[in-house]
Amino acid sequence: MSPRVALTLLAAGLASAGAAPAFAQEAADEPQVAGTLARWFTDSDHVSVRSLSGDWAWPLARNSALTFHYNNERVLIPAVSAPPGTQEAIDAITTASRPISGNAFADFVKQRNEVEGEYARGPAAVTYYVSSESDYLAQQVGGRWNRDFHQQSVNLSLGSSWGWDEIAPVQDDDTNTGDARKTTLHWNAVMTEVVSPSLLLRYGVEYNLVNGLQHNPYRNVYAGGTNVPERHPDTRQRRDAFVRVNQALPNRASVKLSYRLYNDDWGVTSHELGSRLSQYVTRGLSARWEYRWYTQTAADFFRDTYTSVSGIGGYLSGDYRLGELSSHLFGAALRADLEAFAPTRTFVRRMTLWVDLERYFNSNNYSANVVETGVDFRFP
Amino acid sequence: MNRMRLHVLALGAVLLALGVGGCATVPVKPWQRERLVDPIVAFKSEAREDARKMKTFEAREGSTGGVGGAGGGCACK
Repeated sequence: MSPRVALTLLAAGLASAGAAPAFAQEAADEPQVAGTLARWFTDSDHVSVRSLSGDWAWPLARNSALTFHYNNERVLIPAVSAPPGTQEAIDAITTASRPISGNAFADFVKQRNEVEGEYARGPAAVTYYVSSESDYLAQQVGGRWNRDFHQQSVNLSLGSSWGWDEIAPVQDDDTNTGDARKTTLHWNAVMTEVVSPSLLLRYGVEYNLVNGLQHNPYRNVYAGGTNVPERHPDTRQRRDAFVRVNQALPNRASVKLSYRLYNDDWGVTSHELGSRLSQYVTRGLSARWEYRWYTQTAADFFRDTYTSVSGIGGYLSGDYRLGELSSHLFGAALRADLEAFAPTRTFVRRMTLWVDLERYFNSNNYSANVVETGVDFRFP
Repeated sequence: MNRMRLHVLALGAVLLALGVGGCATVPVKPWQRERLVDPIVAFKSEAREDARKMKTFEAREGSTGGVGGAGGGCACK
């Protein structure tokens, strides 16, 4: 199915839902919500990403709901200050992909558009996702089902998805990788429990089986005294288990703790610890502080330098994400529910505003700043 | 069986124990859950944000997951 056809079908589905307002009157107690978000990402390699996204959730009749998500991103990867094929040019390439062709001394800019729709009815939901950019088309269909147990104190959710990506690298003077495909089979099982009137617990396992092109088609690796295209295995099994705890505290505060253990058959094992502390500053206005710590081992075939063009077992990688790595993230956020500040203003009181600032850095001398701001609107 | 598999099995056993333990407790009544639906406590209020962050981390690190959902393509790789 082409992205144009898929988008048309999705738009038709959304339009038909919009043409049935009478059914919405019988909907469940969830309000119709529309939200928009602006996000700016900049890193120490001068890569920047500007995101503008919109989300819409519409409850429908017979315990069903429709959600729609759209995102437009503009990615800017700076000029490489060396001719194609030189070691300096290769080092200048960050994890963000860019071809080196013709004039590498100019900034490389690309746009990405992403659309996701979900239809949920009772305990089941189906989703469709498409992401399109100049050299990459990703599509995915998914489904999930959940059920309450133990007087609605325990919920089990099972989900699965199938993704298929079409990769069409643009002209590149170094690697000249041809068109390729990648598929991803995903499943997850997640349990959520109401442990006490102030404690929520969630834990789960996830599995991904990835087949196809999994290296950067634009990246070269210095090996055996020359530059050769990066080469990763075509298959990767990825699995993780996680646990999250949300505890309400006295004085209108909360703490959220999380841990994730990840492992794959390339040899990468990682641990992630997360924490968030939230506090109402005044009625309707809350502040949040966040810290995340992450560490991982290297993939079996990753080396800082390769002595042979055949690498390790036939594979070579210049991707620092497959090496040993640790990172930290600090964040602060403010969230204002305007109903508390303007309860009589029909329009304004339905809005929630928020802003989020983050600072990320890792052991590879890489750092990034993220600024997010958004507004959600609850319809009558 | 390697050490990593033992770790995964141990974590699975802990999670299973948590599940069994949860079912053994007295259920929290609906009218006792007011604090749990507060946006600063609930899981749902940060679901979209968590999904966005997972994509950012996927682009900078070698692992994925932790939010109970599926991944997809990303321009920032």
